[in-house]
Amino acid sequence: MTKLLEAPHAARPAGPPGPAAPRTGAPITQRLRTPGLYALSLSLAFAIAGLLVAVVGKSPWDAAVAMYEGSLGSGSSIGQSIDQAAPLLMVAIGSVIAARAGIFNIGQEGQLIIGAAVGASVGLFMPGPGWFVLLMILLCAAIGGALWASIAAILYYWRGVDVVIATLLLIFVANQVVSFAVNRPYLLREQAVPGQTTASQSDMLRESVWLPRFGEYPGFNIGAGIFIAALLAVGVYFALTRSRWGFRIRLLGLNAKTAHRAGVGAVVVGGGALLASGAFAGLAGGAMLTGSGYRIQDGFADNVGFDGLLVALVAKDNPVRAIPVALFFGALRAGGGFLASTGIPRYIVAVVTALLVLAVVFPTAFAEIQRRRVARTTDA
Amino acid sequence: MVGISKHFGPVCACGDVDLSVAAGEIHGLLGENGAGKSTLMKVLLGLVTPDSGQILLRGKPETISDPLTAAARGIAMVHQHFSLVGRLTVWENIALGDRGRVDREHIRTVVREVGERYGLAVDPDARVEDLSTGERQRVEIVKCLRRDPDVLVLDEPTSVLTLEESRDLFTVLRRVVADEGKAVILISHKLDEIIHATDKVTIMRQGRVVGRRITAETDERALAREMVGRELSKWTAATAVGVMDALIEPGQTEPASGPQLEVAEEPTTADEPSAQEVSTPEGSVAADPSGATPSAAAPTVTEATTGVLLRIKDAHAISPEKIPLLRGLTLELRAGEILGIAGVEGNGQSAVGDLFSSLLPLTSGTVEVDGKTIAAGRPGAMHAAGIGVIPEDRHASGCVLDMSVAENLVLADLGGISKRGLLSRSRLNERARALIEEFEIATPSPDTPMRLLSGGNQQKVVLARELSARPRVLVAAQPTRGLDIGAIEYMTLRLHEAAKSGIAVLLLSTELSEILTLSQRIAVIHRGTIVGEMDRADVDVERLGMMMGGQTA
Repeated sequence: MTKLLEAPHAARPAGPPGPAAPRTGAPITQRLRTPGLYALSLSLAFAIAGLLVAVVGKSPWDAAVAMYEGSLGSGSSIGQSIDQAAPLLMVAIGSVIAARAGIFNIGQEGQLIIGAAVGASVGLFMPGPGWFVLLMILLCAAIGGALWASIAAILYYWRGVDVVIATLLLIFVANQVVSFAVNRPYLLREQAVPGQTTASQSDMLRESVWLPRFGEYPGFNIGAGIFIAALLAVGVYFALTRSRWGFRIRLLGLNAKTAHRAGVGAVVVGGGALLASGAFAGLAGGAMLTGSGYRIQDGFADNVGFDGLLVALVAKDNPVRAIPVALFFGALRAGGGFLASTGIPRYIVAVVTALLVLAVVFPTAFAEIQRRRVARTTDA
Repeated sequence: MVGISKHFGPVCACGDVDLSVAAGEIHGLLGENGAGKSTLMKVLLGLVTPDSGQILLRGKPETISDPLTAAARGIAMVHQHFSLVGRLTVWENIALGDRGRVDREHIRTVVREVGERYGLAVDPDARVEDLSTGERQRVEIVKCLRRDPDVLVLDEPTSVLTLEESRDLFTVLRRVVADEGKAVILISHKLDEIIHATDKVTIMRQGRVVGRRITAETDERALAREMVGRELSKWTAATAVGVMDALIEPGQTEPASGPQLEVAEEPTTADEPSAQEVSTPEGSVAADPSGATPSAAAPTVTEATTGVLLRIKDAHAISPEKIPLLRGLTLELRAGEILGIAGVEGNGQSAVGDLFSSLLPLTSGTVEVDGKTIAAGRPGAMHAAGIGVIPEDRHASGCVLDMSVAENLVLADLGGISKRGLLSRSRLNERARALIEEFEIATPSPDTPMRLLSGGNQQKVVLARELSARPRVLVAAQPTRGLDIGAIEYMTLRLHEAAKSGIAVLLLSTELSEILTLSQRIAVIHRGTIVGEMDRADVDVERLGMMMGGQTA
């Protein structure tokens, strides 16, 4: 029955005041279901992770301690977690924009690495004062990411190639392109220094173009990336909820036909959203480049693009909610990195972090599936 | 069925409902949308488990827990929406769901036998996608009848049929009960159907039975009163009583015009010419600013003199699958008039609706508003040209279910409520409140999600939005489909008022009665083109029916 709120003004009998009140709070069991699911899936993930660590002959307890030490145990590890969170949050903001417009861009990994490569070229070859070059690196990284996403946009709106497929496959192309560039001395490969062999990576950026850092090692210290990301998250949140542009994006995402009728062009608004999400991924690449590592090499993206996508999923497409989620994922990444240094095989570390990610994503995904199922039955 | 109750959350869909149907009768189940008819039948079919109450078949209590049990107990239902596979043939569709080996010859014979027994001729080897809606329904009925059910339930069977097909259907049903001694339950909210096709009728309102009548001893007005619980306006009576009167008892005067002329306050036919006179100068005044642009200047003058506001010339369009949707459609619409487009469903009405929703580009031909050609298919082009649309499927292109009522009220016109690209919440709410009040939209607040509103109120939101944009042309596609009588009455009045205020109204409907009630001119659409046109005063229902069937008469 869809007539939840039917109140025909004239036909209503005099007696009851009509069911005009909206549905009040759901029963307690339902409200407790999501936290309960989180507890269940997390404990299950920890159990399996512990089992895996035990199987390779290490102590699960030591592993758990290492996870904690690496992410929250000290000032510097907290800083590590926050630093890891910054690019994740940037990627997530972009994903949110695309998802709100009803477009599923999953190629952030590729857009990120292309953005970073463009940023690296700017940083290495552009003369000028450090702060200006830094700005240009970030800007050009964003443009690079947007251009990479635009390939998928053009394929979709011109030839109808599915965005999910196109963005996903373009990741592999992006990795190959960057790999090609960092292996060619006339492109990005580091310049030979007499007496040293060169590796498949670019030269290091000069220190004046690095993102500023606050605090001193070994104490609490963080890069400026998280501030940029958080500002952008709040800004995008307001743009999405309060601006005409945000309204159109939402309209397009929720009902493309109605949007078309109301004059919202899928190509301009939808394509624009896809490019914007690419730009945020590219910016994340630029921030990683200038915030840590300071050079680009094979495997630079290191799953940040995919993890950022998951941040957006868990945050239910809300940029502000993405901030704490990104911090959690950042802690997970930092803890995982530390875990690897304790002698647990890298692949086990990868599996453990993946399990924890899954545990966090599962309740959200489950709730989403439930919501869609309910929506479908009420539509019918 | 005794004391059936079913609640969905706080909503009582069925409260202590008793229904008894005897063999050899057609039993009407009458009620507005949401009165609980469908829920009651779902209980009977085992699709819904009742909170309380029991079902007695031939005096014996039965538990019907799922549709398979229902089928085994001899209860079958023809649903409003068919469940047929278009790519398969008729006999394949009928065999669907059978277990074990498929015996093609056997099923084909069964189809022919059942067809002969009840006068339901269908070719078992035809592909379902090639059949008309009426034939498809026949397939559905054959599907039910071949299992020899004792009780056959039909849910709004005529909503998709032409008059001719409806008449055939009722002949078949009569044969089913008279010759075979079966019981038929006919769910409907069309009064004329109930009167002409049933023996007894049970009337439901708000989940309760409010009346049981022997059809021969009652009439449409009494039934309508019981169904709605109040005296009907004459408008609605005209719509609900419909045109079948004239068909079943030829020789009577056109049914819709009678009640219409009774309305002293609203003498439609007498009022129209004056409305048109008033609106024509209005049209030219409004056109003046646009006349300043040199390209539009010349046509504007001619349009003002003839009064034609909307003109479609030789429009051709194809679907993405390259199926022709419009084949040379031409029509003209003047300010202040209501042009009804009659036709059997699937003859291009949705294409016309899509065209005005900017969703359908033309392969050739033009759409002109006030002499200016509109780029068909470009996002928002039709809206910008002053064409308001109440779309056929409001969920698909009329509203956004996951947005709030307030947001749905402003979709296309963000200009008035935003400043430098930012939306103003307060102005949005202010505007929404004004419209909610003006159009009597029943919603707890402007922030309520559209999804939670009833169909009638969702439709009011669409109407309010389209009219508040001050359109010059209003296209209403099936504006009352799926609405209850109160909402139908409201829509009908509003459309009439819109035309009186000088808006050119294009009404697309498969309900002939609706068209006859509202339109001053009637055009018939068939296979994507207009096959005939006539003034309301000259309407000959038989001829109209022939044209709808594709025969140019």
